[in-house]
Amino acid sequence: MNNTLSIEVGSQIIMLLAALMLVIQLLLVVQQMLLTNVRLFALQSLMLSAIATVVAYYYNATHIYIVAVLTLVGKVIFLPWLLNRIVRRINIVQEIEPLFSAPTSMLICGGLTLLSYLVARPFTTLHKLGNNTLAIAIALLLTGFFLMINRRKAITQVLALLTIENGVMLAAVALTTYGMPLVVELGIFFDVMVAVMVLGILVYRIRETFASMDTGKLDQLKG
Amino acid sequence: MNLDVLSIGLQTALLLLLAPLITGCIRNWKAKLQNRRGPRVWQPYFDLIKFLRKDMVISEHASWVFSAAPYIVFITALLVGLMVPMVTVQAPLSLFGGVLAVVGLLALGRFFMALGGLDPASTFGGMGSSREMTIAAIAEPALMLAIFTVAITVGSTDFSHIVATAQQPGWNLFNPAHLMAFAALFVVLLAETGRIPIDNPSTHLELTMIHEAMLLEYSGRYLALMEWGASIKQLVLMTILVNIFLPTGLAADWSATSLGLGMAVFLGKILLLSAAVVLVETANAKLRLFRVPDLLSAAFVLAAMALLSTFLFH
Repeated sequence: MNNTLSIEVGSQIIMLLAALMLVIQLLLVVQQMLLTNVRLFALQSLMLSAIATVVAYYYNATHIYIVAVLTLVGKVIFLPWLLNRIVRRINIVQEIEPLFSAPTSMLICGGLTLLSYLVARPFTTLHKLGNNTLAIAIALLLTGFFLMINRRKAITQVLALLTIENGVMLAAVALTTYGMPLVVELGIFFDVMVAVMVLGILVYRIRETFASMDTGKLDQLKG
Repeated sequence: MNLDVLSIGLQTALLLLLAPLITGCIRNWKAKLQNRRGPRVWQPYFDLIKFLRKDMVISEHASWVFSAAPYIVFITALLVGLMVPMVTVQAPLSLFGGVLAVVGLLALGRFFMALGGLDPASTFGGMGSSREMTIAAIAEPALMLAIFTVAITVGSTDFSHIVATAQQPGWNLFNPAHLMAFAALFVVLLAETGRIPIDNPSTHLELTMIHEAMLLEYSGRYLALMEWGASIKQLVLMTILVNIFLPTGLAADWSATSLGLGMAVFLGKILLLSAAVVLVETANAKLRLFRVPDLLSAAFVLAAMALLSTFLFH
């Protein structure tokens, strides 16, 4: 009895944190300042880390604790610091220039969230810890893709990629009973880490060559 | 029946007396936070008394709408206040429609306030009215969706019923849908009461004012009614926010202890919310008017998603 009660509480905490991740994602969509975007991403990763901790606590799974710590160190502290440094070093204009206006993109993201709820609906009847997070994970994925399309500057596209990765991690940690095997998670994690570092250098080069980070200008590479 | 009259009287008195105090508290705390001394907490009472005693100057172009508007604004605000549970679980007046009636009455008050701004043919008034209606057009759906989120979980649009159900054990206080709805409603509160990211309540600068622009032609008793009505509306919206989402401590019966406890808890919650409003006002700069729809549409989508998730997390 006691155990089911605490599982119930854990499920609620996971739901709450996952919903907060979604809200932060929506804030990312409307937020115009680059540095605030980076901070929001750090906050979102913190939520993910907390979810991993809760899951690890309820399933007594050591390797998910490792995932939580890695997320905390890598995505809450290291990557935001790195992105911050890139932003400061290349001295770019803070304002993001999205393709769609904020209300339009907000509505599109609302639609994408609705879509992901519909897609995930058949799975929500499963009785398992955090089963409802699938919808939120899919929503994070879809809105992450939208963010990537919507923004022209290379560095904001990197951020969008990271939020997509957050969505994947959420599904991996909260949905599968014991998380994925540690090797897989480590693989994903370092993959993204290295990708961001390479992209950081690439962004710097794009900026050097074109005096702008607008990826739309990359089609003029012909000699 | 006897008790009904008594509770209506009590809540009316509470609304009338508490509303200016909350306005005063917000002004005073905001000044303190910005290292100013600021007006005393009860300054709004003195303002109201003074306005009530002053003569009125009325534009010669004004029609009856101009004189009717202050009364309608004041009475709709008071009526809405009576339909929302403040200290007791049972609201004194729950006649029809619950949430819908509340939103409708608020809209009626706003409509007449906008008309009152347009009527004396002053340019600023018209500008303020058009801005107010623009903002209301986005804020109002968000308000409705946010309240409906809770109403759907409870299964009733009656405020007293909502609060009574929410007090029962087993009610999930940290339901993600409700948190999203709360956030959306908080933004709507800032918009509806003309607080800083949307409107600046303490300025008469021509280009930025919204609420003040509509009151520009009013003076004397009418101005007092308008200001009083505005602060009552503010108190009512804050009450909706704290009592729907955090209904702990509301008095279920009429005993002195539970009433006293309910009153104390209610005051604490309202003052806490006022402090949050003060923090938001101090930490943010006013948005450009064309940026306001961005913020409000964010609130709208948030409320819509909250409503959506009630179906999912059922």
